[in-house]
Amino acid sequence: MLATRDVKLALLPALVVLAVFAAALGSLFRWSFLEFVPGSLQTGGLTLANLRAVLAPQYLATIRDTVVLSALTTLLTLVAAYPVAYALARTPSRRVRSTILVLTLAPFFTGAIVRTYAWILVLGNTVITWPVPMLFTERGVLVGLVHFSMPTMILILAAALSHIDPVYERAATSLGASPARVFWRVTLPLSMPGIVSGGLIVFAWTLSAFPTPELLGGGKVKMIANVVKDLGALALTLALLAAVGRLTAGRAS
Amino acid sequence: MTTVVVELRGCTRDYGAVRAVDALDLSVHESEFLALLGPSGCGKTTTLNLIAGFVPPTAGRVFLDGDDVTDRPPHLRGLGMVFQSYALFPHLSVRENVAFGLRERRVPAREIERRVGDALELVRLDRAGRQRPGELSGGMQQRVALARALVYRPRVLLLDEPLAALDKKLREGMRDELRAIQRSVGITTIFVTHDQAEALGLSDRIAVMNRGRIEQLGAPREIYEHPATRFVADFIGASTVLRGRAVANDRVAVAGVTLVVTSGALSSGADVELAIRPERVQLVPGGGDNVVEARVEGLVYQGAQTELTARLRDDQRVLALVTEPAPAPLEVGQTVRLHLPADAFMVLA
Ligand SMILES: Nc1ncnc2c1ncn2[C@@H]1O[C@H](COP(=O)(O)OP(=O)(O)O)[C@@H](O)[C@H]1O
Ligand SMILES: [Mg+2]
Repeated sequence: MLATRDVKLALLPALVVLAVFAAALGSLFRWSFLEFVPGSLQTGGLTLANLRAVLAPQYLATIRDTVVLSALTTLLTLVAAYPVAYALARTPSRRVRSTILVLTLAPFFTGAIVRTYAWILVLGNTVITWPVPMLFTERGVLVGLVHFSMPTMILILAAALSHIDPVYERAATSLGASPARVFWRVTLPLSMPGIVSGGLIVFAWTLSAFPTPELLGGGKVKMIANVVKDLGALALTLALLAAVGRLTAGRAS
Repeated sequence: MTTVVVELRGCTRDYGAVRAVDALDLSVHESEFLALLGPSGCGKTTTLNLIAGFVPPTAGRVFLDGDDVTDRPPHLRGLGMVFQSYALFPHLSVRENVAFGLRERRVPAREIERRVGDALELVRLDRAGRQRPGELSGGMQQRVALARALVYRPRVLLLDEPLAALDKKLREGMRDELRAIQRSVGITTIFVTHDQAEALGLSDRIAVMNRGRIEQLGAPREIYEHPATRFVADFIGASTVLRGRAVANDRVAVAGVTLVVTSGALSSGADVELAIRPERVQLVPGGGDNVVEARVEGLVYQGAQTELTARLRDDQRVLALVTEPAPAPLEVGQTVRLHLPADAFMVLA
């Protein structure tokens, strides 16, 4: 056992990161209550106007779409990842296990952007022809998001499943449960911690997903992060214009 | 002739190069309490798993009530099993754990209620129904596991070292309780253990296992008094085995001494093995019939007694338990006289 003092010491780096992160978020939070001065990065006095602006119908729709898309992504990722995670956690064969692991981790090595461009090719009817439009639709974005979330979900679920002692499944079997019933009454409930943490992580990061909806949505599917980027880019452009304008004006005078 | 409930015919189970169970034949009778006794790794759990259907035999057949069930999946065999770790479902309450088998059998809810209540009463846990298994002591968990396995009246009860995880005191109490419950329910029971005292105290018959085979099968008294092999003798506590040659039908020459052996007729001239329990060997001051000289090689003081290891003149090892206080101080290297009573010998096959 570690002494309490050692534990505190070990937590120090994490606390530093946390403090920096909290400071950044805090200043952003403060800014959200400050008046926006068009054409400048300067702010005015305290106001609730920004908050009111976000509650405008077009933004509310984006928020709703984002939540629905994230929930769907979480659900589909869970369903798709569970069997893979089960196989990964339970196969007695080393070769099967490392094959699954390599296939699971492969997307991590390609990076988000390259992977998304690959999906543009696949969804854009270049490789296969889809019966319904995929690229630049919510469907296409969903596919991309699920794919993006799969590796992490598989790893989290596999960790949870490998912590379940198979003796519980044997016990259920000895009590007369068929394999399907064993899964439903024992394996699934005992893997709940993994389902919850995997689901939360995927849901949370899909809420703030950016490159996937940006590229696969082609401007037609907007999630919160895309709208934030659009607004941020707009504001920066204005600030830039203002700065450039002042410079030129100064020269001229 | 009693009914045979479980039968293994020539069952073998290999794990890679390891032969866990080796051409095993075994019949278990109606209402019998049979112990599979043997050291760790001798194949007891595998034998139980063959019966339960968790592992298929590499060769051989398994019968239940005369039906060949070798290919029947475990959930359709209708057996009850108590696991060494109890394997109580941590996400279900005690009641739900016990109700599990009944729900799988689609028993009506009202009847489940009643039977779970009865089962919990049988194991004296009727008040712990709402608790989670994790909140119970080891002994209570053990009883829940037993109730869970008995509640749907299985044909056979399989117990894999059910007492091994309990501390000594609790173990003895549970042993008696287990036996009482088994008697009152009258269920055919197969019990795995590596503890000879447990097997002797509980069973109608004991199968002593070694390396995937049954070395001897018989009533506890028979096993205890007439071990068939050196392995069984040693495992059952007769840890001295002397090799000798029969010189008459009741005399054996061992280490230059002729010993009188009254237990069993010998054929003169044959090589024989004699087993004797250390508690039957006595330290004596003078010579006499069946007294041998031996050099003390080791002394382990155990409080009420001292375990003495000695070598005969031909280097064969004899163990003796000397009651404390010893008649004379003992020292390693000293020569002592040991009396081996004529009726204490067990002649091994
Ligand atoms: N699932 C398994 N995989 C590989 N070897 C096993 C497995 N189960 C048992 N064995 C081997 O089979 C032998 C018998 O094991 P087991 O039946 O568990 O013995 P016991 O219950 O008497 O201790 C041991 O050598 C053990 O290592
Ligand atoms: Mg075992």
